[in-house]
Amino acid sequence: MVSKKVTLTNAQGFHMRPAMNFVQAITKYPCKISVKTPDKEVDGKSVMNLIAACIKCGTEVEIICDGEQENEALDTAIALIESGFGE
Amino acid sequence: MLNGIGVSKGYGIGRVVIVKEAVATFTPKTNCDVEVERKRFNDAVSEFIASNTARAEKVTASVGEKEGEIILGHIMMIQDPYICSEIEKSIDEGNCAELAVETVCNTFIEMFSSVDDEFTKQRAADVRDIKTEMLNILTGTQTVDLSLLEKGAVLVASELTPSMTACINKENVVGIITELGSKTSHAAILARAMEIPAVLSVPNAVDILKDDELVVVNGMDGEVIKNPNTEEQAHYLQKRLDYIAEKNALASFIGQDTKTADGTKVDLFGNIGTPKDAEKVASYDGEGVGLFRTEFLFMDRSSAPNENEQFEAYKQALLIMKGKQVIIRTLDIGGDKEIPYMGLEKEENAFLGFRAIRYCLNNPEFYKVQLKAIVRASAYGNLAVMVPLVTGVEELRAVKEMIAEIKAELDEQSIPYDKDLKVGVMIETPAASLIADILAKEADFFSIGTNDLTGYTLAVDRGNANVEYLYSTYAPSVIRSIKHIITEAKSAGIPVGMCGEAAADPLMIPLLISFGLDEYSVTATSILSTRKEIARWTKEEADKVAETVLQLDTEKKIVSELKRIVLN
Repeated sequence: MVSKKVTLTNAQGFHMRPAMNFVQAITKYPCKISVKTPDKEVDGKSVMNLIAACIKCGTEVEIICDGEQENEALDTAIALIESGFGE
Repeated sequence: MLNGIGVSKGYGIGRVVIVKEAVATFTPKTNCDVEVERKRFNDAVSEFIASNTARAEKVTASVGEKEGEIILGHIMMIQDPYICSEIEKSIDEGNCAELAVETVCNTFIEMFSSVDDEFTKQRAADVRDIKTEMLNILTGTQTVDLSLLEKGAVLVASELTPSMTACINKENVVGIITELGSKTSHAAILARAMEIPAVLSVPNAVDILKDDELVVVNGMDGEVIKNPNTEEQAHYLQKRLDYIAEKNALASFIGQDTKTADGTKVDLFGNIGTPKDAEKVASYDGEGVGLFRTEFLFMDRSSAPNENEQFEAYKQALLIMKGKQVIIRTLDIGGDKEIPYMGLEKEENAFLGFRAIRYCLNNPEFYKVQLKAIVRASAYGNLAVMVPLVTGVEELRAVKEMIAEIKAELDEQSIPYDKDLKVGVMIETPAASLIADILAKEADFFSIGTNDLTGYTLAVDRGNANVEYLYSTYAPSVIRSIKHIITEAKSAGIPVGMCGEAAADPLMIPLLISFGLDEYSVTATSILSTRKEIARWTKEEADKVAETVLQLDTEKKIVSELKRIVLN
């Protein structure tokens, strides 16, 4: 299992477009991926759960990957969040 | 007249077409054959994906890529591993596919609706849309085809789902009215993209309005006029023509320089609140950002944003503006805003209290984080810093000193920044106006914040209904103050801009041209109209207006004179 913390910097946080981009980018990795905030942990491959979690700009989240290709998945996830989801 | 929220500008007059979403009915069945129901569900998903993929392509081509993404979002939601596994779980318990889809979708609708966040709430509409469409597919219910509407139709529906909006032929629909929805719902976004006037959130619209009756949709003011009489029809028809003419006239100002009728070029910038707003400024052909309010970074959160987070936000705005100037105003906040982690107390007189630069200089560790993020971001474009609420030159000196220290630190660490970073003053207090000559010696530029300057000059709290009548930028005192600030900046040889509402005001523009304002910073949607207004005047004509106005002794006389000259 690998994990890394990162702060959401795009203005809208995990809303529709960012969540879609995120899931699209990581869903190809077979490992389990979750997004953990100070008060909850959600399935990183589920757009619905990411949106429902309502994670705002400025929140520090921990990305946790567990399983096959976990390192690649983590790198992709972190790079995407750091880039502000290419917004 | 019915009232709602105007979400898409313009005026539409046409005949009501009530659109009732086909309601798929089914008998909930339990103890079903799991294999059969699973297959029915999977087939329905395939059909859903196929029809929405086609729809998304159509919308992308006819409306825009971002709008097409809304439909693609639905495809992603129906394939969501969590939603699918929940539905499959329900089917495994023996429920029929319809019941499983309905139950699970309802859970999400409830979950999204209960979140205290406008954007998340709106996602409930997406799930409702998905649910309806899936149930229609499963039960074989025929749906309304909005692409078949006749010319001049005003769509009236309880809620306009994205999938419905996507089928609209924008040539035939002249207006949209719904009972639900707000400025941020997808239907609103699509209506704006298609430039169809829309009024949402009109209670009971479907019951009150009747099929085929004439109706006016006023997307500017959020009004719906049922059965307009001949006079009203003529009135709104004229408004519609004027609006379209105005829009086309403004479009001709895209890509033009901003200059007076006799060819003097000035800068026309936009005001922004988030980095993403810069895109809007760019799309309206703004020549820079004259005011980047940084408050948004600090609000709705539990602790202050760190340096990197701020740096990324500032850098993002600079990258969007591609080398055009971006003026960042440092934090302008006080006891009237609730930001728990800043430890600000509620004050009797928040606007005269511990706020903006006063708070920042008293909390240097806190302020330094922001300044450092700004200085670092300056490496990525044409950045300038603006200090709010200055009342004495010491405040400007203190900020410049802090910036010098930061530069020295960055030099040690070999971190790049713009060595020529400009530091200016926002002139918004009578004190700053009166000492404009002193400030101009040490500031790189001025920007006049007319909203606060007006309030402080006239000693008026805009929110107090008893004295609000005094609040006016046309007051002789405020106009003299503006003239004085611009004159002092000119004689010191520094540029002077304006980032308040007055910069976009057609009545003020001749005065500002006459006084010699260098830069106008306005909301993105006012950029083109401001460019048009500036192009109306020669310096000589503007001087005449100013000369007349400066001889008048009351606000009332000034307003009526300006209206007489400008709006003739």
